[in-house]
Amino acid sequence: MALLQAYGFLIVLMVINALLALSLYLPLMSGQLSLASPGFYAFGGYIAAILSTRVFAPADGEPYAVGLVVLEMLIAGVASGALGVLVAIPALRLSGIYLALATIAFVEILRVVSLNLPITGQAVGIFGIPQPFGSQLGYLLLAIPLFLLAVVFVARLERVRIGRAFTAIRADELAASAMGIATGPYKVLAFALGAALAGTTGALAAHFVNTWNARQGTFDASILYLAFVLIGGSRTFVGPVVGGLVLTAVPELLRGSAQVGALPAWLEGFLSGGGRLIIFGVLLAVGTVFFPQGLVTPELLARLRRGRSRPEVAVAEAQP
Amino acid sequence: MTAPPAAPTLEVRGLTRRFGGLVAVDDVSFAVQEGEIFGLIGPNGAGKTTLFNLVTGLTPPSAGALLHRGDDITGSPPHVVAQRGIARTFQNIRLFTNLSALGNVMIGRHIHTRSGLLPGVLGFPSSRAEEEAVRERALELLDLVGLRDRAQVRAGSFPYGDQRRLEIARALALEPRVLLLDEPAAGLNTNEKAGLSRFVRELRDRFDLTVLLIEHHVPLVMGLCDRIAVLEFGRLIAVGDPAAVRSDPAVVEAYLGEET
Ligand SMILES: Nc1ncnc2c1ncn2[C@@H]1O[C@H](COP(=O)(O)OP(=O)(O)OP(=O)(O)O)[C@@H](O)[C@H]1O
Ligand SMILES: [Mg+2]
Repeated sequence: MALLQAYGFLIVLMVINALLALSLYLPLMSGQLSLASPGFYAFGGYIAAILSTRVFAPADGEPYAVGLVVLEMLIAGVASGALGVLVAIPALRLSGIYLALATIAFVEILRVVSLNLPITGQAVGIFGIPQPFGSQLGYLLLAIPLFLLAVVFVARLERVRIGRAFTAIRADELAASAMGIATGPYKVLAFALGAALAGTTGALAAHFVNTWNARQGTFDASILYLAFVLIGGSRTFVGPVVGGLVLTAVPELLRGSAQVGALPAWLEGFLSGGGRLIIFGVLLAVGTVFFPQGLVTPELLARLRRGRSRPEVAVAEAQP
Repeated sequence: MTAPPAAPTLEVRGLTRRFGGLVAVDDVSFAVQEGEIFGLIGPNGAGKTTLFNLVTGLTPPSAGALLHRGDDITGSPPHVVAQRGIARTFQNIRLFTNLSALGNVMIGRHIHTRSGLLPGVLGFPSSRAEEEAVRERALELLDLVGLRDRAQVRAGSFPYGDQRRLEIARALALEPRVLLLDEPAAGLNTNEKAGLSRFVRELRDRFDLTVLLIEHHVPLVMGLCDRIAVLEFGRLIAVGDPAAVRSDPAVVEAYLGEET
């Protein structure tokens, strides 16, 4: 339990990052490479920060009700989903790298807007966001259910009609439309689902980190979440989940060992500075060469499930 | 009171498509009647595939009109054309290669299913029943093309001929009334080619289809089709039954002559 307390911050952070990786995976399910997640994450966080400090603000000394955080998460999710629809419709004209660039621009626009609006606290941001829990570990009470809900949702989605339409669009948009699939609305839906998840996560994160400002949704974060998805694997939802959890844990654990003096000072400085991004950059470059599909692939999962090697290929080769 | 003559299943009027200075399809008009197997032949680059793309909405026309059962559907997007019951295969096979054969055909059931986001994800009984029906129907179609035993195999790993058959099964999943096949015999051996003719006729009878088919192999087209249209440099140079087309001087000179 003491260990759990010590690592409470890290565990919640891992779950939050896995959720954000999933939020990037959702539009990708329909073939849209969107890096807008940090923008919706920041947007959702501001909604929670504003609601909890201005609207639902508790009387001095009173603890903040957990139910109110849940309510904020719902509001942030719906609002972010709606904003997602607004962004997705013009973005339908773009694809591939151009869509990625446009979504980065969207993140930047939100950041600059929040730096200048009085209601988002401008450069200072919003601080003293009320705490519903006595310790950071308490946040697992909200983070874990949200995580399970998101994982089950995406896992189910991959196996039903709407998810199949997403998959078809990702595989071959033109062939999908020739199958009678109205690609536009499905792409907007996938984009909005990712936005809603990022916004909901942001609302939770705003309470968790206590202060919310324009440093929350930035270009760095876009690249970080992209790394989670690409290194974890982009062809099944398990990839981003694993990527988000593991790639959050590893650098923090390294940094943790730095604090107990196990690492030389220069490495400690490197890891707590920009070093993490450099490592991810290298991982991305190396990963795309040796694991172009990411660590977790549908084939790997099938092999694990069946407990034997590559059955689908074996069947195919058995044919004349 | 006499009923008005039924509108043709498919009619193109003055259909034209330009790519820059190139006129890929040039003022083409013809009508296809219900239940016909209608062949489209012509040398490489004659505009056959472009004509299919125009009919299925993948390419918007530069001029002209397209009618389906008398309704003007010029400029309709591909999914609307597909929802009207016009399905196709592609010359350069466009399967969802990473998905299983079953997954490919199940996607073809999209327009005949309703299940929304939440009912699907939450597994409502109606949604589960629909999902089961989709799977059943897809397996039947795989059976029809002889691929049921490999339903779970990745589509991209199939040999060429099987990929062509899988693509036909996927198109049939749309329950089309009009089926467009772009060079279905390409890459098949002589044996498979003979089988294909029989198969196409069977499909027409069993599913009440109207079939449009592009094919280079002249004997196959002559033997299979009720009528044939011949394209050259985007223009329609002849249309009629196989005997008439075979003896048409323009066709002999432009196309058939060089075959023998
Ligand atoms: N998207 C496009 N952009 C530019 N030119 C095109 C395009 N599609 C087709 N063309 C040109 O239009 C002409 C007709 O092409 P099309 O593919 O329709 O011929 P085809 O009759 O199907 O030939 P093949 O028998 O080789 O399949 C060709 O000259 C081709 O290069
Ligand atoms: Mg062609």
